[in-house]
Amino acid sequence: MSENEKIISEFTEYLLGERSGDPVVWVRSVLNAGLPPLDFFNNIFNPTMTIIGAKFSRLDIFLPELMDAAETAKRIIEQVIDPMFIEQKSSSKTSRGKILICTVQGDLHDIGKNMVSIMLQVNGFEVIDLGTNVNTRTILDRAIEEKVDIVGLSSLMTTSMSYMKEVVDLRDGFGHKDKFAIIIGGAPITAEFATMIGADGFGKDAFEAVERCMALISRVKS
Amino acid sequence: MKHHPRLFEVLQRSETGPLVHEVDFDRKLVGPTIKRLTDKYDIRYTGEFYVNCDDDLADRVFQAGLDFASEVGVFNQSTSRCITWTRDEIEIAVRTCPAEASVGAGEQKCTIVARKPEDTNRIALFGGVVGIPFPEHLYLPITLSFLNQNIFDIIDSASLETAYGYPIKAGTGWEVLGAWREAELVQEALALVGKPGMPFGAVQLSPTALGSLAGVTWGGLRTFDHNHVPMTSEFKVNNDLLAIITHAHNHSGFIGAYYNPIYGGFVGGAPGIAVAVAAGMILLNQVTIGHTFCTRPTHPFLGCDTTPEILWATSLAVQALTRNSNLMIANLAGPVSGPGTRTILYENAAFALMAIASGVSELEASHSAGGAVPRHGSGLDARICAEVARTMPGLTRLHANELVGRLVKLYQPEMQHKPIGRPFEEVYDIEKVEPTAEWQGIYDDVKEELIAMGIPLDRFKKM
Repeated sequence: MSENEKIISEFTEYLLGERSGDPVVWVRSVLNAGLPPLDFFNNIFNPTMTIIGAKFSRLDIFLPELMDAAETAKRIIEQVIDPMFIEQKSSSKTSRGKILICTVQGDLHDIGKNMVSIMLQVNGFEVIDLGTNVNTRTILDRAIEEKVDIVGLSSLMTTSMSYMKEVVDLRDGFGHKDKFAIIIGGAPITAEFATMIGADGFGKDAFEAVERCMALISRVKS
Repeated sequence: MKHHPRLFEVLQRSETGPLVHEVDFDRKLVGPTIKRLTDKYDIRYTGEFYVNCDDDLADRVFQAGLDFASEVGVFNQSTSRCITWTRDEIEIAVRTCPAEASVGAGEQKCTIVARKPEDTNRIALFGGVVGIPFPEHLYLPITLSFLNQNIFDIIDSASLETAYGYPIKAGTGWEVLGAWREAELVQEALALVGKPGMPFGAVQLSPTALGSLAGVTWGGLRTFDHNHVPMTSEFKVNNDLLAIITHAHNHSGFIGAYYNPIYGGFVGGAPGIAVAVAAGMILLNQVTIGHTFCTRPTHPFLGCDTTPEILWATSLAVQALTRNSNLMIANLAGPVSGPGTRTILYENAAFALMAIASGVSELEASHSAGGAVPRHGSGLDARICAEVARTMPGLTRLHANELVGRLVKLYQPEMQHKPIGRPFEEVYDIEKVEPTAEWQGIYDDVKEELIAMGIPLDRFKKM
């Protein structure tokens, strides 16, 4: 096992609560031992989050553990990594982009949306979660106000799918098509439906949603 | 059941109960309480059993369910308040719940009774695709595909994709129109087969009170039909659902309440699912004051309830409830496979064996292909559950466990591929409403295989 692999293994255990002690203090000690913050972020932090995401995809861990890990990771970014980047005047960024996510109007299901939200956070996105049963105007207004890169819409019900089209129609109709991309998902949603309503992407599950957002973000940023 | 004081309490407490942020309800109440109770009562999944055979474990799950129900309650998303009950109130409600109820009218009247594990009492059979989206031109044929089986006591409907060609949109006049159209089409199907008194549940996916209430007015659900009322995952209701419950009570309707926890979600793995189901059914009795209480725990990625862990957890929770109360528990078979596959028949047979041995009062089938793929469902998908239920009264849990183990080996290797099969119109002749020769051939072949395995489907007589 290489030194990096050892640190990743230890970091994984901290994030999953399998080691006692404060993970923030541990990360500081690793960085104080000489590992540059950018190296830590690229070669330790990101691979560890990928491992944790994979564990959830196999259901080796469950949603509460995944959420705890994501929260701890966020705390590490905010308290350790970002301040060090600022101190070093580094242009490196810890967030891949900003995503607004919600379940559209008429639908109260939230667990699928929550899984996508957490997987996006685990993979380095900043996520604004508006919850469930969110009306179209609110989605559009908040997306513009928060200057998000992507809006993710979830619906588990055929009767709410029409509201996804409404979000796309309002975005395009009010001239905001170039401001943010729209990705959709949920049990009855298909790639064909996404294309039909003019959405920019579709994810069949939380893992594909992350992949699509990675691809969309580079398009949006360019 | 007008002017129900317990219902008044529910409505009142939903506006006066403790204020909680929804995120705290999920993270600080539901998840940690489930975890603490699985530890306290030593509820562990070993993988040794598909159908629980341990009475003491089932009784501990019941106690954990009572603990959870009295400690956490139900969250009302509209008011951000918890609806709570004391332990005494919960125990009294469980002790005094109805142990028998009727649904339907005339020759099609059906009585549902509380059952115990390994019971010989008759199970009520509920057939339908339960909210799977279907286009208008297939709505009558899919409903008739269940009615023509001549084996189901209650019929459940599909969800219309459109009404008069227009998309159905939640919270609008289209939702109202869609609900009316569903109820109208199911009654047309009942008239066609000469069973006007057969009970049905429709307007399955009405997302707001608009559709549900419209579907339960004149020309829609009758006073002897089956009202579906959900508690959303995990342990949540809202003012619309409370309005639907209130209307169902005043409509003198039969209430079939349901709650489907998500495997791997806030309640965790198999032990957490078992406690969540036990608590969920107890809380459904509190919040809906209903008749039957259905569960269909859902795999987060496969959408099914037939993985070994979920079968075990469901069997354990059902036994916990049926051993310790007269709550009439129902299960919905939700295979990952779809119409036209051998594996859907293995999955549904396994699920039926688990459910009947564990003591369900009502068995519903089939939420084929995970219940979410449009047009993927057929009457023949569900028939296997009905035949198993009718030919194996008094099935022991040990025997069920052995048979389920053999069936799981036949379908488990295929599960990750999600064999959703083929849409209804490709496995049925929709003019004659008969299975294609190919689909019927697969069914007959699997039936022979199950008979050879020791499931006496050859004794099944047409009802």
